[in-house]
Amino acid sequence: MNTVLESLFILGISHHKTPLDVRERLALTEAEATELQKQIYLGTGIRECVVLNTCNRIEIYALAEDLSELAVVRSRLCLMKGFPENAFAEYAYSYNNLQALQHIMEVSAGLDSQIIGETEILGQLKQAYTMALQANTTDKVLNRVFEKSFHAAKEARRKTWITRGQISIGNVSVDLAARIFGKLSDSRILLIGSGEIAEKTAQALKSRGVRDISVSSRTLQNACKLAGSLEGTAIHFDNFKNQLHHFDIIICSTAAPSLLLDKGCLLKAMKQRPDQPCFIIDLALPRDVDPSADSIENVYLYNLDDLSGIADKNLEARKADIENARRILKKHAWNLWLQLRRSELMRRV
Amino acid sequence: MFENFTLTDRSVFAIAAAMYGAGFFYGCRILRTDRPYSRTVMFSLLLGGFLMQTLGLNLRGTAVRACPLGNPFEIAQFLGWSLILLFLIIGPAFRLRFLGFFTAGLSTLLTAGAFLVPAWDYVYVSKTTGENAWIELHAALALFSYGIFGLLSLVSIMFLIQEQGLKKKQFKQIYQFLPSVQQLDLMAKRLLIGGLLLLSASLIFGAVFWVKDFERVPVFKLTATCLVWLGYLTIFTLRIRKKLINRRHAIASIGLFIFAMASLWPIQSLRSMKLPPTGAALTSQVPVAAPSR
Repeated sequence: MNTVLESLFILGISHHKTPLDVRERLALTEAEATELQKQIYLGTGIRECVVLNTCNRIEIYALAEDLSELAVVRSRLCLMKGFPENAFAEYAYSYNNLQALQHIMEVSAGLDSQIIGETEILGQLKQAYTMALQANTTDKVLNRVFEKSFHAAKEARRKTWITRGQISIGNVSVDLAARIFGKLSDSRILLIGSGEIAEKTAQALKSRGVRDISVSSRTLQNACKLAGSLEGTAIHFDNFKNQLHHFDIIICSTAAPSLLLDKGCLLKAMKQRPDQPCFIIDLALPRDVDPSADSIENVYLYNLDDLSGIADKNLEARKADIENARRILKKHAWNLWLQLRRSELMRRV
Repeated sequence: MFENFTLTDRSVFAIAAAMYGAGFFYGCRILRTDRPYSRTVMFSLLLGGFLMQTLGLNLRGTAVRACPLGNPFEIAQFLGWSLILLFLIIGPAFRLRFLGFFTAGLSTLLTAGAFLVPAWDYVYVSKTTGENAWIELHAALALFSYGIFGLLSLVSIMFLIQEQGLKKKQFKQIYQFLPSVQQLDLMAKRLLIGGLLLLSASLIFGAVFWVKDFERVPVFKLTATCLVWLGYLTIFTLRIRKKLINRRHAIASIGLFIFAMASLWPIQSLRSMKLPPTGAALTSQVPVAAPSR
């Protein structure tokens, strides 16, 4: 039986097969994406369509009168971007029927993303779907497909490890800080050095509510610049050791060839705040903080290896759970497929 | 259908213990399977158990015509009840993750454990309520403060686990569910103050009785209770002076609670030795009237 559902298809390119320079050439602006969606919907035998446009993928979800419409959609995209069709075919992929449903669910759950389990893609899919809804280019089938996909993605995330556990140094640090302090809004941060990872870590902490950030660097100008971007204050490098006891989180990332903070220096600081914990993140190579400082009561010292070790283990846990997540999504895709078939049959009757 | 059904206080206590046990096993399952932890499930199980235990204590109190604190079985039930009551207040207010699991564990140990020693639920002669008002208030307050100290020891255990996890760079299993060390430390401080105030009040009320009837207060009981009070006062003083903090504070709180629990047993043994042997069946098994048709 040749039902219209057999013409439900996805056409796209993604980071898996398409190099960055090609993705750059094919990248759509928001206006272009809207225009393409409109052209596809109005100009051809397409019943419903949604265009997803992110930095890692362009995908067109469509329900057509006939599967031959796929070639027409491909032509429209290539024409808009002035990209040769035969070259596009080299990078593009397409799915239809049940496979299309499975694909969209995997995309929603972040299984098809560059960073497995990332949640940004779900927001981008929701945004694309909202735009299509506003433009009236969707109807019963794609509406149900998208809504069920969001639901399936949520379940896969809830029941597996694919999104749990942070996989970047900054976010792992934020998680650890939360395990030490709970709410981070009252925590005071000292950034020693102006390394890039330290800056990102400070930004991650700031995004979780930290308001009080101080920066100290050998070059006061650098410290002032970084402090300005983090809405914090700069401290003179010769002076920061006397103020260590004021800070709850200390992030070190200098290029100093030897230890910057020894155990004695930290013991002295902790004597002034014996009942307050201190989280020290040593991101420098060679290390800035004496490793033996970890034995001081209430001091929690983590270096780059510790943080990346946690991030790696979280990533492993995510990867190990991909198959479980896929199984959940397949079940949802199959159920949705049966529902769509049933409603299509009912419609015909 | 319900005519032959009698609900005794012991069966109500057993249902309560089963509900606390269910809460504890739910937490164990979460830890084993690494699945998300539902506060609602834990809270509902503990609330259900608490209501049953309140009913049980009420039935027992009606039977003995006094606050049911006359034998080790009743004391264990009252302590378990105090712990859960405190959790039901503190849990939602301070949102301490996984506290329900630990509370369920200790309450199961106390309430279900009391059933394992049938001799604990011996018959005792209860005095009239009016005569015993001060001493009953003293006993109830003292045991409730022990409940607070029980919760303090649980919070201290959670603190030690989280602290150890952070020091050893552990981040999965139980560590991901526990509150932050700072939250736990703050809660430990609050519980210590609350427990100490209540125990002090209990001792003041006890002193009223002691002054009236010096002979009837066992020296061992008085000494043990005063030692417990002095112990917590010392912990509190040292903490305020920042001499006993964090890890050492947590260990001291756990150690002192174990001592407090251990001191309850000889106190009750002495008390039971003074009572005349009855050999009678448990008078406290009060049947509840079945719904009539």
